[in-house]
Amino acid sequence: MGDVLKRTVNLIRSLHGFPAFQSKVKHMLCSTALSFLGPAFEVVGRHVPEFRKEIESWEEGRRFALRVLPKGPAITLEKSGDMIRYLGKGLKSPHITLSFKNYDSALPVLMGIAGSHQAFAENRILVEGDLAKTMEINRVVNIVNAYLLPGIATKKVLKRAPKMTLRDYINKGKVYAGLVPAVVRHLI
Amino acid sequence: MIPHYYQHFCPVKILSGHNAVSNIPFEMDILGCRRAMVVTDKGVVDAGLINLVREAFADSDKEIGYVFDEVLPDSSNRLVNKLAKLFEKEKCDCFLAVGGGSALDTAKGANIVISEGTDDILLLQGNEIIKKELLPMIAVPTTSGTGSEVTKVAVIYNEEKNIKMAFASDRLYPRVAVLDSRMTMTVPPKLTAATGMDALTHAMEAYTCMQKNPIDDVFARAAIELIRKYLVRAVENGKDEEARLGMANASLLAGIAFSNSMVGMVHALAHACGGVCHVPHGIANAILLPHGLEFNIQSIPRPIAELSGMLGGSIEFMEEKEQAMVTVSLVKNLLGRLNRISGLPVRLRDAGVAEDKLPAIASAAINDGALAFNPVEVSYDEALEVLKKAY
Repeated sequence: MGDVLKRTVNLIRSLHGFPAFQSKVKHMLCSTALSFLGPAFEVVGRHVPEFRKEIESWEEGRRFALRVLPKGPAITLEKSGDMIRYLGKGLKSPHITLSFKNYDSALPVLMGIAGSHQAFAENRILVEGDLAKTMEINRVVNIVNAYLLPGIATKKVLKRAPKMTLRDYINKGKVYAGLVPAVVRHLI
Repeated sequence: MIPHYYQHFCPVKILSGHNAVSNIPFEMDILGCRRAMVVTDKGVVDAGLINLVREAFADSDKEIGYVFDEVLPDSSNRLVNKLAKLFEKEKCDCFLAVGGGSALDTAKGANIVISEGTDDILLLQGNEIIKKELLPMIAVPTTSGTGSEVTKVAVIYNEEKNIKMAFASDRLYPRVAVLDSRMTMTVPPKLTAATGMDALTHAMEAYTCMQKNPIDDVFARAAIELIRKYLVRAVENGKDEEARLGMANASLLAGIAFSNSMVGMVHALAHACGGVCHVPHGIANAILLPHGLEFNIQSIPRPIAELSGMLGGSIEFMEEKEQAMVTVSLVKNLLGRLNRISGLPVRLRDAGVAEDKLPAIASAAINDGALAFNPVEVSYDEALEVLKKAY
């Protein structure tokens, strides 16, 4: 049975046009994940005091982008007041750009299978801009992950999964409840 | 354990020997270069080390175009731009950096300016942003610690914006590293001890941090074993050629290891100590190394335990955490010995750090890029706690 499956998979992979199709699927997955991640910064910022405290010292208007090289999707975010605003898809004059080398580098991180620290360690991410500010961004990404991903995933994705209090769980619930409307709002 | 994924790269040709500097003109020939821009500082010139380099050129058709000896302890964008202009004016075709990390970083910075055709390298900070091929650079370290001769990193201070700009690119590796025992012979005992502990920190963090991999483990192990054998000897007797060359090799091996495996919380804290209180990098690393290792035992006791054997400790078949604590005490013993023979500080208070600066150091440390590679998450409170212990 295993052999049959293996041969079938090999056959599919050898089909003309399969690599292009696979690439399109990966593009779609990355693009969808980023469509959720961008608004998630806004929603987490609204409900999580720890997030607002973390960005308190950031200069107003700091823009950062996440993208997938060479021609993958990108999103840009901006510090505005006590929150991070999602500016939408594409690069919009960011001060700092975090670029995944390719879809395979990006997918585990964007799908919540691997952490950003692991991506840095494994040279999956290139940084354009101030490295100290990138560390600050990385901490914020970790907070977003902690409230976006289920507990079992945060243990794998974060170096140290946060100990959630009842209030944190309530905030997590608010993040889940607010995420889909936020994504839809940005799509319209 | 084999990591899920890792990279290793070191394209540097290495020359090591008691008269290795003599081979520089030949290496320039291989690189297709004719006229070198020597980048150094006044201390190196006063110590007579540039004379050794000049002697090497005496019987060759290669020449020294200019000796730029204005390098300061921290490389800056103003200095880098000045050097780049001089390089072009003097029609040089390669850099010959002779000095510590700052001289090498200044040469790397000027190389970026010239090759990228910009006078604002601020736009190129980050990792793997430099797209153009750089000019050949030959590195001759005069201290055994930074490992800059085999690293892909340059740190340059931006005077206008008051920030340290970090550049990391595979293009920043020098083409040739020249280790000559004569070049480190004049380094005083305390500095020899501090730079040697810097090299030990590079090797130990490379061996224990997140990008640890089988290739860099080999370099880190070799470095630690050389440091164990030669550091105290080089501090006790600066004229010991074998010990000097041994330490130069240790520094280079540790440099290769950490350029790929990166460093962790000890470096993050040490960079912050340097930024806030101007503690020399090697001294800060020396003081913080045992405390950083101790903090990380909670997550990675095994690699820290393995270090004890490299430092000459016996393997007592203890629990991993106990054996890891043996490593910590061996590092503390080494620090104590270096303190007795050279006056190397073992506490932050002895290195000129005021206690009320510890919160500012902790704040700066948690934004340091090195922390991304530490196996354990370090919060502000935890960084402050480690600093208090080291104080």
